[in-house]
Amino acid sequence: MEYADFPYLTAILLSCILGLLIIIFTPEDRTSQIKWVSAVFSGITLLLSVYLFVAYDKTLGGLQFVEKVPWVESLGITYFNAADGFNLPMLLLTGIVFFTGVLTMWELENRVKEFYAFYFVMVLAVFGLFMSLDLFFIFIWYDVSLFPMYLLIAVWGTTRKEYGAMKLTLYLLAGSALVLPAIIFLFANSGLNTFDITLLMKPGTFTPYQQKFAFILFYIGFGILAGVWPFHTWSPVGHVAAPHAVSMVHAGTLMKIGAFAILRVGIFLCPEGWQHWAPLMAVLATIGIVYGAFVGLSQKDLKYVIGYSSVSHMGIVGLGLSTVSVDGLNGAVFQMFAHGIMTALFFSAVGYIYDRTHTKVIAELGGLSPIMPVASSFFIVAAMASMGIPCLASFWGELMVFIAAFKTYPVGGALAVSALVVSALFMLRVVQRTFFGPRNEKFVHLTDVTFGLGIPRMILLATLLLFGLFPALIFDMIETASIPFFNGLP
Amino acid sequence: MNWTPFYPELYYFAGGMVFLGLSMARQSNPRRDYFAAMFLAALGVLVCLLNVNQEGFIFFKTYRVDLFSQVFKVMLSLGLFLIICICSELKGIAERHHPEFYLLLFVCTLAMMLLVSGAHILTIYVALELSSYSLYVLVALRKDERSGLEAGLKYFLVGILVSAVMLFGVALLYSATRVTYVTEMVRVLPGALDSPLVVIGLLLTLCGFFFKLAVFPFHFWAPDVYQGAANQVTAYIATASKVAAIAILIRMTAVTGDGSIYLAHVLVILSIVSMTVGNLAAIVQKDLKRLLAFSTVAHAGYVLIGIQCMSTFGYATVIFYAMALLVMKFTAFLVVVKVADDGRNLQMSQLAGLHRRSPLLAMALMVSVFSLAGIPPTIGFTGKFLVFAAAMQKGYFTLVLIAMINVVISLYYYLLILKAAYLEEPAEERPPLSLSPQIKILAGLLVCIMVVAGIFPTYLIELASAAAAVLN
Repeated sequence: MEYADFPYLTAILLSCILGLLIIIFTPEDRTSQIKWVSAVFSGITLLLSVYLFVAYDKTLGGLQFVEKVPWVESLGITYFNAADGFNLPMLLLTGIVFFTGVLTMWELENRVKEFYAFYFVMVLAVFGLFMSLDLFFIFIWYDVSLFPMYLLIAVWGTTRKEYGAMKLTLYLLAGSALVLPAIIFLFANSGLNTFDITLLMKPGTFTPYQQKFAFILFYIGFGILAGVWPFHTWSPVGHVAAPHAVSMVHAGTLMKIGAFAILRVGIFLCPEGWQHWAPLMAVLATIGIVYGAFVGLSQKDLKYVIGYSSVSHMGIVGLGLSTVSVDGLNGAVFQMFAHGIMTALFFSAVGYIYDRTHTKVIAELGGLSPIMPVASSFFIVAAMASMGIPCLASFWGELMVFIAAFKTYPVGGALAVSALVVSALFMLRVVQRTFFGPRNEKFVHLTDVTFGLGIPRMILLATLLLFGLFPALIFDMIETASIPFFNGLP
Repeated sequence: MNWTPFYPELYYFAGGMVFLGLSMARQSNPRRDYFAAMFLAALGVLVCLLNVNQEGFIFFKTYRVDLFSQVFKVMLSLGLFLIICICSELKGIAERHHPEFYLLLFVCTLAMMLLVSGAHILTIYVALELSSYSLYVLVALRKDERSGLEAGLKYFLVGILVSAVMLFGVALLYSATRVTYVTEMVRVLPGALDSPLVVIGLLLTLCGFFFKLAVFPFHFWAPDVYQGAANQVTAYIATASKVAAIAILIRMTAVTGDGSIYLAHVLVILSIVSMTVGNLAAIVQKDLKRLLAFSTVAHAGYVLIGIQCMSTFGYATVIFYAMALLVMKFTAFLVVVKVADDGRNLQMSQLAGLHRRSPLLAMALMVSVFSLAGIPPTIGFTGKFLVFAAAMQKGYFTLVLIAMINVVISLYYYLLILKAAYLEEPAEERPPLSLSPQIKILAGLLVCIMVVAGIFPTYLIELASAAAAVLN
């Protein structure tokens, strides 16, 4: 463990908190000031997360930038943050999505102050969860990231927003209802009186039975947030209802929280439980991939299409985790990153189009490409990434997962790959109907993306390309964590 | 005899006497009464704080002063003070009754202090009755006489029935063990718990406290009384009175030592049913006070989870939970009292547009609601977490799981409150709420306490553990 000479990780959290406080104490009518404050502080978190990603010493590996402060000593709760190969890509992802999300909502007019305040709380928790190595804090961050969602969706959302918000909140908190007992169960049975994951993950701390029992609770509890079939139904409804930036953060990073927590909590603490339940995970993940693709085929709303493609792509993450192999883990984490950037680009692009046309129904759009070529191209690139076109980041994640899956579960792997064809079909169909074909005269007067408004989308697009062309940047990083973890398994 | 440990009680007795004098004044003067009460209650908090470290037995060992009782006395005095803070516009009670209202509040607080220190079964019974009778009258004092009297009468009838049951239990307990002192019970009871007579006697005795805490099946009074009483009185019943009930329940359960399996089973069942009934019934409520009444029933269930552990850690967690309940319930009622500025009951629909009428109150409501639901980083979450951890250490996995499912159910109606305050627009535009600076500071402070104590609970946990450690 390398202790930090400067608390970079806490600095990320603090810049969220500071931004939040400034927003709270800014008068409500000074909207542009609030937006600039948001942009500056989210920019700082982005810079810090980029710095951490670059400064992490890959040859050394292990936990770096460690910060450890006892919190409640009588219960063994520590404020324990660290960066490793698993969470650095996630922190980078959160930084990018956070910053671009703020910029995507630049045109917001309604209750600006409250929106950015809740938005900051949510992202603060997402950052906190990714960097924490203390079970108690992980749970705290998990719940904190969820509760602003209700208001964010219900106040600023669109289609069936109250229903979507309530469904999403109750589903996700039902997940936490399984997670909290499991956490306390492990805490009470370890006999170590600590919530520190690095101490609890020592082999032999828990009996195989305890591991199996706790793992399934973690898997279902966190899996609800990760969009595991059949607990995914909140996800399309919630994403459709949410405002664009919230959809971006939600599909981009919050769903990753679920998958990441399965890895960090479930797999780290209960490796035997993981191996025991892996076949079940593989089955559910495969169903999710295939089901998401087929349901996406019949959707009429742009955001629903993206929502179901998220279910399908998160299934790929689940499949990677279920292979119990280094390649699978690498692929899963890479896919989390790539999918996060990709859906953020999707929702950001749809956000621009919706703000102009005021519709997300595919049949009412059409022929947008000649009218707003740049705005359309953002969506089209995201769609290509979703299909797994090489040179874009998501290709590599999917490739690794499928290679690993073919070795372990040939049938599931084959089914999943074939679902990719369906997924390509529905994406192409959406692109064709929305952006090409006959022009809708209603929309002829609309203007294309200006440079300023294009910035967030360009950042996302550049990230997709960068890691699509140089996947080793992330793979090397993940391997510093996944290979030692695998070698440490009993 | 050394009277020093008895100073807080003497102080509150004197405070009550002041209002007895004021009630005889020919002309009513609400401002004077309010400021007198405010001053006396604030001083009372100070008196209790100064006496925190007192210890000893007085009155022939029927009265025990220890850290446990003193911590609860601070909470009770704080509860009284907070309630009086929201009495500046006491529209729910006729002006000529204001001195009596404060008199009864002081007497009731005195009675609860006696209750948490009681070390003899008769002291406990008398203190319990004194506090109950004060509350019966307080409930009936409401200006709108019909609903107040109806609620008061219901409360009274159920209350005396439970008192009779409790006395019967005490008699059974005495016939089986021949002890009346709590200190002797600690010695005798753990060995006698396999006798059915003792278990039944103990359970019937506990019924009196279940009634106070509104545990199923003694919760039927709660919704009607909460709805019928004046808003401030309801707030008092929901906060201070619950704190006292928790204290005495801990004290009486602690005498059983490691407890008996029968007792634990009964408590587990009562806890599960209370949570579930409270949460399910709360979903359909339209009157905010009625809703909070059912949420109190649910919270009684969570409290029992900690109590049935019958371990020092379990009691410590419940003490922490009592602190949390005091703050978060009070904040919710602060909003009720201030939004219903005409002194009537508050319907959910009247919350509409609150985020514009008073952003501060809307935020206070949001934080208190999240705290009640047990969402981090609030004190309510820490309380629930501790209680669940205590139960898990005793191996009650299923109980914790059921409790968590209940938390999710409860979240539904808590979110409905938020929806009313943040989303819904009022049918007719209503003016912004004007709050006095004191109330603004109080609301801001309460929000800070709920969040800060949720993030940094160490000190309160240590205090609760120290208080629980003196029980055995």
